[in-house]
Amino acid sequence: MSKEITIYLNDKPVKAKDGEFILEVANREGIKIPTLCNDPRLEPYSSCFVCVVEIEGMRGHQPSCSTKVADGMKIITDNPAVHKSRKTALDLLLSNHYADCAAPCKNTCPAGVDVQGYISLIDKGMYSEAVSLIKEVNPLPAICGRVCVRPCEAACRRNLLDEDHAVGIDYMKRFAADYDLAHENHYRPEVKPSTGKKVAVIGAGPGGLTTAYYLQQEGHQVDIYEGKNHAGGWLRYGIPEYRLPNDLLDKEVETITELGTNIFYEKKLGENVSYKDIKANYDATILTIGSQKGTLLGVEGEDAEGIYPGVEFLNEMEATGKKPDFSGKTVVVVGGGNTAMDCIRTSQRLGAERTVIVYRRTENEMPANPIEIHESKLEGVEYMILTNPTKVNQTDDGKLKSVSLIKMELGEPDDSGRRRPVPVEGSEFDLECDYILAAIGQKTDVNFIDDINKYADDGQLVVNRWGDIDADPKTLQTGIKSVFAAGDGVTGAATLIEAIAQGNVAVHSVKQFLNGEEIKPKPGEFLSKRDNFVKQESDKYVGKYAKQERQEMPVMDANARMNFKEVELGYSDEQTCQTEAQRCLECGCVEYFDCDLKAHATEYGAEQGVYEGEFKEYNVDFSHPYIEIDNNKCILCSRCIRTCDEVVGASALGLVKRGFDTHVAPAMGDSLTETNCISCGMCIEVCPTGAMSENFNFKPGPLQLEKETTICNYCSTGCEIEINHRKGYTMKVTVSDGLINKDGLMCKSGKFGYAYLNNPNRILKPLHKVNGKFEEISFDEAYKIIEDKIKAVKPNENMFFAGARMSNEELYMVQKLARGGAKTNNVSSLSYFGRGAGYHTNNIANAKFEELKDASRIYYIGNELNKNVPGFFINNAKKRYNVPVEMVTTSEVLKDKVNKATRVDNYYYFVKAVNHYLLTKGEQNQMFINDRTNAFDDYKNALLAENYDELIKKSGVATKDLVEKFARTYNDEMNAILVFHENEISANASVELYNLVMITGKLGKTANGIIVLKEKNNSHGIADMGICPKHEVGMQKSDDASIISKLEAKWGVSGLPVGVEQSPLDVIENGGFKNMFVFGEDPVGCSTKKDKTDKWFDVDFLVVQDSFMTETAEKADLILPASFTIENDGSFTNTQKIIQSFYQGMESKIEKTTLSQLIDLNAKFGMNGVSDAQDVMNEIISLLPVDTDSPTYSFEYTNEDNQNKLFMAGVDSLIKMFGKEFMTSFK
Amino acid sequence: MKPKVIVGLGSCGIAAGAKKTYDELEIIKKDANFDLDQTSCIGMCYKEPLVEVVDETGSYIYGDVDEKRAHEIIERHVKGNEVIKEWVVKTEKFETSEKSFLDGQVKIALRNCGFMNPERIEEYEARDGYKGIKKIKEENLSQEDVIKEILDSGIRGRGGGGFPTGLKWKFANQSVNDEKYIICNADEGDPGAFMDRSVLEGDPHAVLEGMIIGAYAIGANGGVVYCRAEYPLAIHRLNIAINQAKEKGYLGKDIFGIKGFDLDIYVKEGAGAFVCGEETALIASVEGERGMPRKRPPFPAVSGLWKKPTNINNVETLSNIPWIMYNGAKEFSKYGTEKSSGTKVFALTGKINHGGLVEVPMGITIRDVIFKLGGGIPDGKKFKAVQLGGPSGGSLPESLIDTPVDYDSVNATGAIMGSGGMVVMDESTCMVDMARFFLDFTAKESCGKCTFCRVGTKRMLEILNRIVEGDGKEGDIETLLELGEEIKSNSLCGLGQTAPNPVLTAIKYFRSEFEAHIYDKKCPALNCRPLITYEVVADACTGCTLCAINCPVDCIDGAKKEVHFIQQDDCIHCGSCFTKCNFNAIKLS
Repeated sequence: MSKEITIYLNDKPVKAKDGEFILEVANREGIKIPTLCNDPRLEPYSSCFVCVVEIEGMRGHQPSCSTKVADGMKIITDNPAVHKSRKTALDLLLSNHYADCAAPCKNTCPAGVDVQGYISLIDKGMYSEAVSLIKEVNPLPAICGRVCVRPCEAACRRNLLDEDHAVGIDYMKRFAADYDLAHENHYRPEVKPSTGKKVAVIGAGPGGLTTAYYLQQEGHQVDIYEGKNHAGGWLRYGIPEYRLPNDLLDKEVETITELGTNIFYEKKLGENVSYKDIKANYDATILTIGSQKGTLLGVEGEDAEGIYPGVEFLNEMEATGKKPDFSGKTVVVVGGGNTAMDCIRTSQRLGAERTVIVYRRTENEMPANPIEIHESKLEGVEYMILTNPTKVNQTDDGKLKSVSLIKMELGEPDDSGRRRPVPVEGSEFDLECDYILAAIGQKTDVNFIDDINKYADDGQLVVNRWGDIDADPKTLQTGIKSVFAAGDGVTGAATLIEAIAQGNVAVHSVKQFLNGEEIKPKPGEFLSKRDNFVKQESDKYVGKYAKQERQEMPVMDANARMNFKEVELGYSDEQTCQTEAQRCLECGCVEYFDCDLKAHATEYGAEQGVYEGEFKEYNVDFSHPYIEIDNNKCILCSRCIRTCDEVVGASALGLVKRGFDTHVAPAMGDSLTETNCISCGMCIEVCPTGAMSENFNFKPGPLQLEKETTICNYCSTGCEIEINHRKGYTMKVTVSDGLINKDGLMCKSGKFGYAYLNNPNRILKPLHKVNGKFEEISFDEAYKIIEDKIKAVKPNENMFFAGARMSNEELYMVQKLARGGAKTNNVSSLSYFGRGAGYHTNNIANAKFEELKDASRIYYIGNELNKNVPGFFINNAKKRYNVPVEMVTTSEVLKDKVNKATRVDNYYYFVKAVNHYLLTKGEQNQMFINDRTNAFDDYKNALLAENYDELIKKSGVATKDLVEKFARTYNDEMNAILVFHENEISANASVELYNLVMITGKLGKTANGIIVLKEKNNSHGIADMGICPKHEVGMQKSDDASIISKLEAKWGVSGLPVGVEQSPLDVIENGGFKNMFVFGEDPVGCSTKKDKTDKWFDVDFLVVQDSFMTETAEKADLILPASFTIENDGSFTNTQKIIQSFYQGMESKIEKTTLSQLIDLNAKFGMNGVSDAQDVMNEIISLLPVDTDSPTYSFEYTNEDNQNKLFMAGVDSLIKMFGKEFMTSFK
Repeated sequence: MKPKVIVGLGSCGIAAGAKKTYDELEIIKKDANFDLDQTSCIGMCYKEPLVEVVDETGSYIYGDVDEKRAHEIIERHVKGNEVIKEWVVKTEKFETSEKSFLDGQVKIALRNCGFMNPERIEEYEARDGYKGIKKIKEENLSQEDVIKEILDSGIRGRGGGGFPTGLKWKFANQSVNDEKYIICNADEGDPGAFMDRSVLEGDPHAVLEGMIIGAYAIGANGGVVYCRAEYPLAIHRLNIAINQAKEKGYLGKDIFGIKGFDLDIYVKEGAGAFVCGEETALIASVEGERGMPRKRPPFPAVSGLWKKPTNINNVETLSNIPWIMYNGAKEFSKYGTEKSSGTKVFALTGKINHGGLVEVPMGITIRDVIFKLGGGIPDGKKFKAVQLGGPSGGSLPESLIDTPVDYDSVNATGAIMGSGGMVVMDESTCMVDMARFFLDFTAKESCGKCTFCRVGTKRMLEILNRIVEGDGKEGDIETLLELGEEIKSNSLCGLGQTAPNPVLTAIKYFRSEFEAHIYDKKCPALNCRPLITYEVVADACTGCTLCAINCPVDCIDGAKKEVHFIQQDDCIHCGSCFTKCNFNAIKLS
């Protein structure tokens, strides 16, 4: 009824409704206003002040989330002042956001490899997937896993916890990469269709290989010109084989060339290739030439024979394949980096008698990998630290005689922060030696520059003052627009991973260049860092996390190393690697990809250092098994608190303290586990940062995940959910705005009950029991056995059960198999089996969940309010729409959650007493009864014949008054919705509840009537699909000849059974069945009366179809594997008769899905013509009755309560498994 | 007649020792012929304990009455009929030294405070109490009539907002609902303000009558006095008053014989959060929620307590209402200015001779309040500034001392009237430190909801802390100004919207003092210890060694009986030498 008004959004007139909020209207108009605290499900709040706007005539800025529009209002949604306020709000929030977006390992890696992400994949044994993640930025993981200098490990916080024993990041990377390379199906990125563009890359070193790998993927043809006869650059010609075997190198290079990149060997730019030709044939050129020349010592006498630059020595050996003999010689290597290590350890392997490292600082300052130093010592290398050469002494014939050395000591720190070594006067001494290898630096050789500049026509290539190629440091574009440069040739000698990082930068620029776009560096993203607040020290970790020893790298015995075989052997097995993965502290935030704060901070250029000052440091609260609270990340939007209160109704969270000390804490307790928390996880869903997150029991990444929408397969509400997975491994479940859960609600089962999807103990093949043991057989063999068994007995000696977890299509095919195949009507579902017919009435439940907020009063009959999504609907109706909620309950709890509660002992007698009272007083709605119902008089007479006082007594109410008051007020209520759960109510109690609703005339009207909650997702489908001896599909009677003939015609079979000869319950109790088929139910595991029910399944031949080895499956003679909902197409019918389709979101782990097995089985009995879920649904629809009459309800008299539930958990092994997991997790 | 001795037993009196005086008088009474009674504060806090003697000749209020003086007063005055003139602070019989304090005042809100026993409804009624509401019945005034009277009087909200009370009532009246509420906001939270406490302690019935009239005007049937728990005497007397009113039938059903006029009032004790003085936070607190403000609109007049239309007025406003109803709007608007009618109570504190409560007609200058009524600055020091409006207000310099105290004139300066706190500062007050003090208060009292108020005030405070510690940097003033403006324009409630005011006005009027701290590392007021140098005045030093003995870091050298010397490099600016020296031989600079 709201009035339409006009407002002006940034001067543009816009229609809006009176009462709407500015933010709502702006969003609708496509104007993006950032917000952190707003949630349309909740009362507006306005705490973050990120959504502020300017309104003409109003002082200051106004939060758009809570400011209502008014006619003629003029709103500016963004201008410099508004922008500044938003940025300031973010700056202020970030000034107290003591948290890491990404882990230090990733932040430190020059290429930004997502270490935490791939460790999480290794944790799950997904090695190729880990490699695919690494290869998003680093195409050489196997090489990197061996020779990287590992800045990641230096930055690893494990160092703080386990005394400088970082997580074995590279060891794991190597393991994953080797595993992937060793597999035929190793990871191959997708290559886009050819663009027709060509790129020339000069040099097949790591930088060049990187650019080729990524540009080729873009569909550009990349050709590499390499001067030498092998690829790899210094990887091959500088690093000795005992560290990086050539065949491994070649293999990894092949993962690049297999994408289509060509490498032309022995092609040197400026020598046998001219830029003239390159320019003519390629759209862009990338110079990845490396830093090829070694330098000498820079002291007197270094021209002596026997002194070589270390890199050239190594290069020569690789290039010629000739290994010099150093037997009996003394070799001195000057330098402390990895090249020095390579030279000295190579010399050792060449038989040198004495090998000495001369280094001017201490071992701590050595840039070489500590492992290298350690291994070299094992191999017998001598170290002269704090020593520097001053002169080389020659023999008369100019040969090396000795080197003069001087002792050094450390002085003041220099620019690099390292203490500068200064000579100790008078400490000179001579060291006699045969060879000196200088490993102190390299130079770039740009000998092709003239050739390039000669032919370049859009600029000139320039060399900078260090002799390296001059390129824009941000884009790596050189003075020639189409020429880019990357790697050592630009930076001077650096590391492998830096070359890869440079390659990535060049790729980004070249991609833009080739697309004709402006060349801009990759935009930076905001990253919160704990180190921005305080240096991370051991005491922040020791005692808070468990220590765990590092899985060290196995190495070749030191005595066996006089060769060039690889010294490091790699982790021997997956177990070791996965154990090491557990050491990851997961420093990076799980919400990295989804954090709103991060997104807004990036957009608004907010920074962490603008407002420095005190910050709050909280311990992360892991005490709840599913929900983790990290107040360090909290921005106090209170969405968790408000959702828990206004939607869920648990009120488990609150704010404590004031001012800057304010923070979120469990209400009334130290831990969430001590509150009314119902573990629905809605707090996680609504948190805009990572302050509320899932307390995962595995390494969650964070990873980019694929989201697949499906329908929750727990209860009958029918919530839409999103399975978030990485290549089939489910990482989390998030909520979706479905048809039923429009407001994005979900409960604990949907949110946390997903472990089954990753459970490795799944049954994947048909299993046949032979001599008491299960043996894998083929599907065809299984079908044959089943066919023979069915045919071997009389039709009615077969019994079929199908569970309410199954889709409509699957259920339909089960009963078709029973009726059309086995020719029996013995088909039922154990979830209702033997519980009385009364529940059938529940299928006429009429009220919709969305009508709850329009009710004038909600009545909940039972105890389990507020546990699941319908409970949230009720609470939200109460909190936001002021609908009073009244409860009739056998329990004391939850009284404070409702406006009124009536305590009873027995629902059945209570309702009967109410009905008795109303009819005695003549208070029934006679008009409704006359128009819409039948059998009223019979009911009335029978009921009034009962003793009222006896009913009151049996109901257990304190006084008669309570019953009568309830009856009167319920009767008088304009719009009363009655809600109950089949789980809590007996079949006859639910019949009597229907009688009550009919007596008062509340059925079939809007915002009136009954909502029934059922146990399983497709409880309603059971009835609809004919999983019932008496009813065919569409609840058509199975003794109706016209229907039988319709089915026979459709199915192409004859002799379908008509009606029911004997109730299956009677037969089963007398052991009258020979064959039994149980689809998707675990009656043995879920039985509450094992003595009685377990022997039901002791039949000659038992087939069970399920996903896991349930107790029922164990009894089976033949097991068929069942697929999961997410692996299938199909549909469920929720309790409100809404049919929701779902689609396959994940590859099925079993060869044939449940449905295709059923299709195959039906085909065995000559029933063909359907091949997928859509076909089945079409067939179902064609068989449904066409009935347009408005329904007539029927009174049914019941004479006793019949609470005889035989099975719990909806007879579903999945519910049982999650229930058990849930219970144990709180212990 | 039998002489009557009345002791002022307000919180201020009790704090000054009036309870002891009262107890002593009870003992003396056994041997003397007088009646002993109590009253509340008359505003002359600087002379507490006050004891009034009423005899046949008139009334005489004695100041500074301790047990000893009490004895003497009974002996000489009550028994001996000798008025001890030099102790009398107020009488109509002769001029006292305190004439100026009293003469400038016009008492409407405080009309009964100190003049009756607040625990007796009869005394209130004897002083025209409940005649405002009775007039409504007698003259058969409609709700609209009452609202018009209040509108005509021009009275504006005395809690600080200055919103016309009549208009507020009109809005609440226009909201259609069968349930409405009237709330008295007695959550007086400004440091240095105590007028509401004084009214509640001294004249609780006036507040109740104001609420009753308001309830009638808007159609409320429920009333709440939201009073901070730190005011136990006020709560005690309010409860006595409510019970008395109930007994008399002034609360309950069909009250004052007006058919269908039902009203119940109860006292809700607040936990003392400053923010609960904000209307929406107050409502949340009454509802049992955490006291946090909500976005307005909807205003309480439309959706307030339990989402019902609610009107909230401050104590002082309500205590004016019965007077206006009884004496008429015209009479009220005789006082004050055109846009700020009536009187305003101010709490004078700080560096002032006559600290206490004064009620003056609006429009009087600040100078008159401070120098005429307040008696000026003690110890011959120079006036420097006055803080108006408490932590939401601002400090005005001497150049603005002739500003008239009315809503619009004060607002124009950047300060606000607020609830009427006036903190007077002399030359020894450091304005940076003063701004820091008020901001420290608001930062701690922020409810923590809004980003700017929660984190922004904290960051401003940290900068001010640095400045007074001597670690101010270039750009600090600009950051304070910038952040201050951002906080003001991006906060949900009045607390955040005004929290930077003390800092912003201090910078506006005393910028050089900030600059001296930051650039010269000096505190001109010699207040901020880290910025003070302590030096020995050679001429005055006797070489007694006391300073050296007390120096915690042993940085004072000097032999006995010789001039001492402070090693500046080691001095930690603790000031103990200055405090200990008996010869004024330590100089600050």
